[in-house]
Amino acid sequence: MSINEEIMENEILDENAAPAEETTEQQTESADAPETMGAEAFEQKLEKESKPVKQKGRNIPYEKRKALYGLGFIALWAIGTIYFFVMPLIESLIYSFNKTQPVNGEMQLEWVGLDNYVYAFRKDVDYTPALVAMLKDTALKTPLILIFSIFVAVILNQKFKGRTFARAVFFLPVIIATGPVIDIINGNMSTGGYAGGSEQFSSMFEANLVDELLNFLGVYNISDSLTEVISSVVGDIMNLVWNSGIQILLFLSALQGIPSSAKEAANMEGATAWEYFWKITIPYISPMILASIVYTVVDSFVDPSNDVMLLVLTKSSSWEHGMMAAMAWSYFAIVGVVLGIVVLIVNKLVYYEVE
Amino acid sequence: MATKKEEKQFEKERKKARKERMKHMKEVGIEHFLTPEQIRYNRRQALLGSIWPIFRFLILFGLSFIILYPMIFMVSTAFRPSEQMNDPSIIWLPKEFTLDNVKDVWNIMNYTSTALNTVLLNLIASVLEVVSCSITGYGFARFKFKGKNLLFAIVTLMIIVPPQIITIPLFMQYSFGWITFLNGGDSLINSPLTMYLPALFANGIRAGLFIYIFRQFFRGLPKELEDAAYLDGCGPLRTYVTVMIPNAKTSFLTVFLFAIVWYWNDFYISSSYFTRNDTVALMLKNLDATLIQDLFAGQQVGIRQMIVWLEAGCILSITPILIMYIFLQRYFIEGVERSGITGI
Repeated sequence: MSINEEIMENEILDENAAPAEETTEQQTESADAPETMGAEAFEQKLEKESKPVKQKGRNIPYEKRKALYGLGFIALWAIGTIYFFVMPLIESLIYSFNKTQPVNGEMQLEWVGLDNYVYAFRKDVDYTPALVAMLKDTALKTPLILIFSIFVAVILNQKFKGRTFARAVFFLPVIIATGPVIDIINGNMSTGGYAGGSEQFSSMFEANLVDELLNFLGVYNISDSLTEVISSVVGDIMNLVWNSGIQILLFLSALQGIPSSAKEAANMEGATAWEYFWKITIPYISPMILASIVYTVVDSFVDPSNDVMLLVLTKSSSWEHGMMAAMAWSYFAIVGVVLGIVVLIVNKLVYYEVE
Repeated sequence: MATKKEEKQFEKERKKARKERMKHMKEVGIEHFLTPEQIRYNRRQALLGSIWPIFRFLILFGLSFIILYPMIFMVSTAFRPSEQMNDPSIIWLPKEFTLDNVKDVWNIMNYTSTALNTVLLNLIASVLEVVSCSITGYGFARFKFKGKNLLFAIVTLMIIVPPQIITIPLFMQYSFGWITFLNGGDSLINSPLTMYLPALFANGIRAGLFIYIFRQFFRGLPKELEDAAYLDGCGPLRTYVTVMIPNAKTSFLTVFLFAIVWYWNDFYISSSYFTRNDTVALMLKNLDATLIQDLFAGQQVGIRQMIVWLEAGCILSITPILIMYIFLQRYFIEGVERSGITGI
């Protein structure tokens, strides 16, 4: 309380000291928070108090005033979000429980309860397999992208000649990968005949090689599924590299944030690069690992060219908006739950320097 | 504070001194100064230091090749005559070099006006989005009010909800909602307002992410800045404009670049609200259909026959953004390093 009073006192002093021009400016600014009082009341008050250098809003406690300013700052977003985000979101949830029929100017709805959901999971031949494949794919890809991008970020963080060029190349996917260009080029490469795109790279890791290697090591019988996983990963290296631009960027910025005192201490203690990586680098960038997991999952989840999204879009183009909404919502709910669990688990392992 | 040049000088001197000390130690006999473990450690470090750059070069070279591979393919095919696509003796270098494909696609895509239209659309939307998102981010970072956590949860929701869920209801709102009064009662579909309005209200493409970045950044700035501004009689809005914005320059630039790139690349949202192919990304997405219509006079042809034109279209559509990237990539990377993204 005493602090508050002090602040109030300061304000009064401040008020007396401030020249008249500035105070009028403040008055107009505090009009940003219209919730303080009704507009007319405000204007009356303004008229009443325009002569003396007493300010409107000065009788409201500082803390409360700040809260109102805060609301003023987010007001623009709040209005927009209600109209452009929350309303459509609710609307689409309503669609998902209805049979929809667009009739000039409005959506005709016919309540069917959970039928759309039941149909999507029990009867639609494509939906459930696409969903499972998508989840599997994400579960396999996310750790790979994380490991790969940490690795590349560590390399790009070292000092060497041509670093600027290397960084420019590695961030190229950030500016290109979200657009239609890469899809078209990939499509063309696979129909181009002579250059089978990513397959070219995978040919050096032919399935047999893995098999032979395992047999050589004395491991038999598990090679089939393992080979499949490995070859799918290596065959997909193009997508892996092209999808990790942002993550590399995030990790690089986290690496720059490691304080030099930690580096020096590790050097003094004679840490090897390996120890340095596990005991200094990883803990310091662990918050960013969490952020990258979220980004990677969300990115593959909202990608308009993944199987589930394609299915959802076909429903939309065949005017089955209720079905589309049901599919999109259940997809969203599943991914949301998975993401929530992952975040909760990873959050336990994250090291925050400032608690 | 030493300048960069001076620091380089210091580093040189330090290296020289270390070398001389090492030389001296070796002359006297190194075992007098260091324990065997230290000697071993030093030797290992030296070995690593000489081998690692080679490996690093190989790794980076290989990965860069993978990244550049599609680009090389694009350049290689875009400038060759279509017949040479089927010539088995050509892999990378065509026998002749031609600009015809690019010229054809330039005309088909109506490139000059499409590109100008897209640039205008992007610039306005990006500026609006950056301004509104930064204001919102500042509000979330520096003020305490009731329900802040709940509201911020909505921001997080904005990041993870795919735009596909809300497209159809939004489409209905744009075509028939009360908002159509902005267009004199006509549907907003095909009007650039469908891009500008959400951007203006901090709800444009990936706005949630941008709000998040700005919030993180503003949270990292020292509180004293505002206290000082307050004591000097600055209201909150003026504090924001005159004190916070200059401090957040790099963050602004980074978000602005991201916004430009994402608006330029977007085809999902624009294809939902534009029925005409008014932007470069849309034009490119539908280029195969346009090509069949305009170039092959409605004949059904496979993708293979159209590759050279498609690739020429790709080149045309990424060139502007690539040029921007080449000039600004320094800021792009530095900005990310210094901006709020670090603080997540």
